[in-house]
Amino acid sequence: MRKFSRRAAIGLVATGLVLSGCGRDAGTSADKAKDVGAGKISGTVTVWAMGTEGEQLGAFAKEFEAANPGVKVVVTPMGFDVAHDKIISAIAGGATPDISMIGSTWMGELAKTGAVEPTPSNLIDKSAFFPGSWETVLSGGTAYGVPWYVETRAFYYRKDLADKAKVKAPTTWEETQSFASAVKAKAGASQGVYQNFRVGSWQEVVPLVWQAGGEIVEGNKWTFDTPQMVSALTQFQSFYKKGTAPNKVAEGAFPQNFIKGEAAAFYSGPWMIYGLDKDGGAGFDQKYDVAPYPKGSAGGTSLMGGGDLVVFKKSKNRDAAWRFIQWLSDPKTQVKWFQTTKGLPAVQSAWQDPALTSDKRVAVFGEVLKTAKTPPPYSTWEQVARVLEGEIQKVALLKTSPAEAAKVMQQKADDIGTGL
Amino acid sequence: MVRKAVLYVLLTLGLGVVVTPFGWAVLSSFKPEQEIRQSPPTFLPERPTLDGYRALLDQMDLFIVFLNSVVVAGVIVAANILFCSMVAYALTKLPFRARNIVFALVMVQMMVPGIVLMIPQFVVVANLGLVNTIFGIVLPYLVMPLGIFLMRQFMAEIPDELVHAARIDGAGEFRIFFRIVMPLCKPALATLGLITFLTAWNNFLWPAVVAQTQDRYTLPVALAIFSNHQTSQYGLLLAGAVVVVAPVLILFLALQRFFIEGIASTGIK
Amino acid sequence: MAWVFAAPFLILFVLMYAGPLLAGFGMSFTDLRSTDVQNPLNVNGVGLDNYQRLMQDEAMRKAAWNTFFFVATGVPLTILLGLGAAVALHSGINRARVFFRVGYFMPHVTSIIGIAVAWRFLLDPESGLLNQGLGLVGVDGPAWLAEESTALPSLVVMAAWRGFGFDMVIFLAALQGIPRDLYEAADVDGAGRWATFRKITVPMLRPALLFTAVYSTIGFMQFLEEPLVMTQGGPLDSTLSASYAIYKQFGVGNYGYAGAAASVLFTVIVALSFLQFRMLRPKHH
Repeated sequence: MRKFSRRAAIGLVATGLVLSGCGRDAGTSADKAKDVGAGKISGTVTVWAMGTEGEQLGAFAKEFEAANPGVKVVVTPMGFDVAHDKIISAIAGGATPDISMIGSTWMGELAKTGAVEPTPSNLIDKSAFFPGSWETVLSGGTAYGVPWYVETRAFYYRKDLADKAKVKAPTTWEETQSFASAVKAKAGASQGVYQNFRVGSWQEVVPLVWQAGGEIVEGNKWTFDTPQMVSALTQFQSFYKKGTAPNKVAEGAFPQNFIKGEAAAFYSGPWMIYGLDKDGGAGFDQKYDVAPYPKGSAGGTSLMGGGDLVVFKKSKNRDAAWRFIQWLSDPKTQVKWFQTTKGLPAVQSAWQDPALTSDKRVAVFGEVLKTAKTPPPYSTWEQVARVLEGEIQKVALLKTSPAEAAKVMQQKADDIGTGL
Repeated sequence: MVRKAVLYVLLTLGLGVVVTPFGWAVLSSFKPEQEIRQSPPTFLPERPTLDGYRALLDQMDLFIVFLNSVVVAGVIVAANILFCSMVAYALTKLPFRARNIVFALVMVQMMVPGIVLMIPQFVVVANLGLVNTIFGIVLPYLVMPLGIFLMRQFMAEIPDELVHAARIDGAGEFRIFFRIVMPLCKPALATLGLITFLTAWNNFLWPAVVAQTQDRYTLPVALAIFSNHQTSQYGLLLAGAVVVVAPVLILFLALQRFFIEGIASTGIK
Repeated sequence: MAWVFAAPFLILFVLMYAGPLLAGFGMSFTDLRSTDVQNPLNVNGVGLDNYQRLMQDEAMRKAAWNTFFFVATGVPLTILLGLGAAVALHSGINRARVFFRVGYFMPHVTSIIGIAVAWRFLLDPESGLLNQGLGLVGVDGPAWLAEESTALPSLVVMAAWRGFGFDMVIFLAALQGIPRDLYEAADVDGAGRWATFRKITVPMLRPALLFTAVYSTIGFMQFLEEPLVMTQGGPLDSTLSASYAIYKQFGVGNYGYAGAAASVLFTVIVALSFLQFRMLRPKHH
C-alpha cells in the first residue's frame, strides 16, 4: 500500500507538471465559412437529435431522400439528459456525426471547441429567421449552425378562473399582481400564479430584466448587479411575499396544480399547449388561454430558445449535410415539421401558413417571437445559469433580498467569466 | 411458535411497506397517461389499459434493444464470473509480493467517482476503434472491482489447507481453481452474477455515450429518449420500468436457491 | 502464477482506468473546460487554485456536510435493515421464504425512473399515501421533499429502501456459511439467543460486514441518483450531495474544478474505507 502510494504520487505530480507546462495558445485563428457546392449529393448523412425531434426526424427525412436519390439520412435519437455529455465525448474522441441538434444555449460552448463548422453563407439566408433565433447560432460574430425550431415563453392563464374573479389577462406587471391576488381571493386558486424557482428558473427572471429595460451582459461583461435586475427579482419575489405564488409545492406538482385550478397561471413555452390538452382531458382547452408576457417599464420582451442544427468539421459528407439542413429550413418543410412535432418554425415566412395562424394560442407565440431575445452565446453561460438559479431559489424562498441576490449573482458570475 | 407467528407478521408488514412503491409503479403502468398524472392519484387502475406497453412496442425497436441489453449483460456477467474469481484467487490463495498493491488498485478503481473517467475512457475506446460496438459498451465493465472484492471476501474463508493439500497432490493452480475453489464459491458466484447483471442491465450513461446508432441502444438508453422534464410519457416510462425489472427478478428467482444450498452443505470448517 | 490470475484485472486497469484516472487528477491542476476537449493539453496550469476555490465554495461545503449526513445515517440504516431482514429470513422461516426474499430484494432492482414517479406519489404533501396515513392518526405531514428539514432524511430513507435488499442477499449468503455445529455447541452451553447472535453470528459475519460497510459507504459517498431525480439538490441545496455537485460542474463544462472536487471526494472515500478495513479486519488471520 505504502509503496504504491509513493509511486502513484510521483506519477501524478509529473502529469501535473507536464500539464502546467503546456499553456494555452494565444488566440485562435477565426473560422472561415466554406461554400457548399450545388452539385449532386450522395451517401449517408448521420444526424443526432433529442427527444421527439429524434423520434420523428428519421421518417420525416424520407421526403428529402426521395428528392435526392443516393442520399440516406440516418437519425439517432438521444435522451435530453445525455445529449450534452454525448456530444462533448464525441468531440473529445473525434467520433462526431455529420449533424447534431443542440440546445440553443450550447452554441457558445460548442463553437469554442472548434469542432463545428461555420454556416456557409451561400446556402442559408439569415434574414429568413427571427432575429432573436439567429442570435442563438452566433458565437463571436460568426454563425455556426442554423436555427431549426424555436420556443419562447408566454403567459398561460385559466380563463374560467379569471372570469370568476372578474379580471382579464394582465398586460402589465402591476396587473399581474392584481390578477394573482384576485384569482386567489375570489376564484379559489389557492396558489395564485405558479413561477418556477428550481432548475431552469433563470428563464423566469431573465425576461423580467429585459422587460425592465436591463441587459444581463454589456461590453462582454456580466451585468447582474443592476437596478433592472433588482426590480425583476422584486417583481418575482413579490408574489411569494404576498402568498400569491407557491414556494412549498413539491417538484412535479406542476402542471397538475394548473389543471386542478390551484394555480391560475404560469409562464412557459408552446409545448405546454399540447401537454395541457393531453393531461387536462376533454374540454380543458376551453378553460385556459395564452397571452403575451405582461409588460414591464420597457416592454414585454420574452426569451428565445429552441433547437439549432450544427455540422461537425469531421463530417465526411458535409455538402449533403448542409443541403439537408437547407431543406429543413425551407419554409414549407418548417410548416410540415410543425405539423409533425409541434416545433415552432424558426423561419418567419412559415408563420403565414394557415397551419400556424389557425390556432390563436400558437399565433400568440408567433407575435412574442418577433421581439424575443436570447442569453449571450458565451461558453460559460450554463455555469452562470446555475448560479442564477441558486440565487433565484433563495429569493423565492424569501431567504435573501433582491438587492443582495443581484450582488451575489454579479460576484459569482464575474468569478466564472464569459469564457471569451 | 408464537415467536414464529410474530416473525411472519413482521415480515409481511415489512414486505407491504417495501413493495408499495414498486407495486404502485406496476399498477400505474396499466393506467392511461391522464390517470397517471391525475391528482389525487388512484391506486388501482380505474380504466386499465395497455397503452403504455403498446407505445413501448410502437415507438422503439423493443426486440433489438432488449437483445442488446441481454448480450451486454450476458457478456459482462460471464466475464466477471471468470475474471473476478481469478483475481480473487490470486489475492487470497497465491502469495505474491505485489498482492497488496493489486488489491489497492482494485479498491482505487472502485472508489473513484465514475463521472470523472467518462470522457478520457471514451477517448480510449475511440482510439481502439470501438465506438458504437457492443465490445466498446462492455469493455470497462469486464472485471468489476466490486466483484473482485466480493470474491476475495468469500475466498478468504476457504481454508488454505484445502489448497495446500491439492498442491501436495500435484494439482496445478488452474486445476485447483476450477475443480476445488470455484465449486465451493457457488453462493458467492450467484451473488456476483446478480450484482454484475444488475450493474450492466441498469447502466445508462456509458452505453448512451458509446452507442451512436439506435440498433446498438440498450433498454435504459432507449427509454431515456422519452424522458423529458415537461412532456415525459409516463405510461411508456412505467411500462419500460416494468419491462426492465422483470428479467432481473426472474434471474433472482433462478439464483436464490444457491443461497439456500449454501456453503454450509459443502462442509467447510 | 499469481500474475496470470491477476492479469485480467491488471490489463483492463492499465487500458481503461490508469490513464483516465491520471487525467482526472491532472486536470484538477488546470483550467480545463469542456471547450478544450479537442486539445486537452492546450490549457493553463493553475496550481492549487481549484482546490482553494473548493474550500471557499458555499455550495461545495454544503454538499460536503450533506454527504456526511447521507453516509452517517444511510450506511448504518441500510446495513441494519439488510442484516435484520437476512437474520429474520434465516431463522427457520420455511413458508413463503422465496416470496419474502424476492419482495425484499425488489427495490434494489427497480430502475430509478419508475421509482421516482412512485415515490413522488407516496410523498405528495396533500394526496400522498404517507400524509394521508398520517392524517388518519391526526398528524399533519409536511411537504417532505419541499422542506429544507425533511428533504434530506426523506432521501436517506429512500436510498436505504433501495439498497438494503442487496445487503440482505450478501448477509443471507454469509449466514449459510456459518457451520451449524457452532450453534449446536452454543445451545449445549445454554447461551441465550442474543448471546449467540453476538458471540457467533456477528463475528462470523465479519467479512460480509466489511464488504457491505465498504460498499454502502462508497455508494452513499457517491450518492447521486436520488437527489438528481427527486429534488435536483433542492430546496436550497439541502439535498445536494458531493457527487451531484461534481456532476453539475461537469455538466456545465467546468472540468478542472470538477476534477479537483472529485479528487477530494476520492481521497475521503479512501480514508474512510481504510478505517473500515482497520476496524473490521478479520481476527482469526
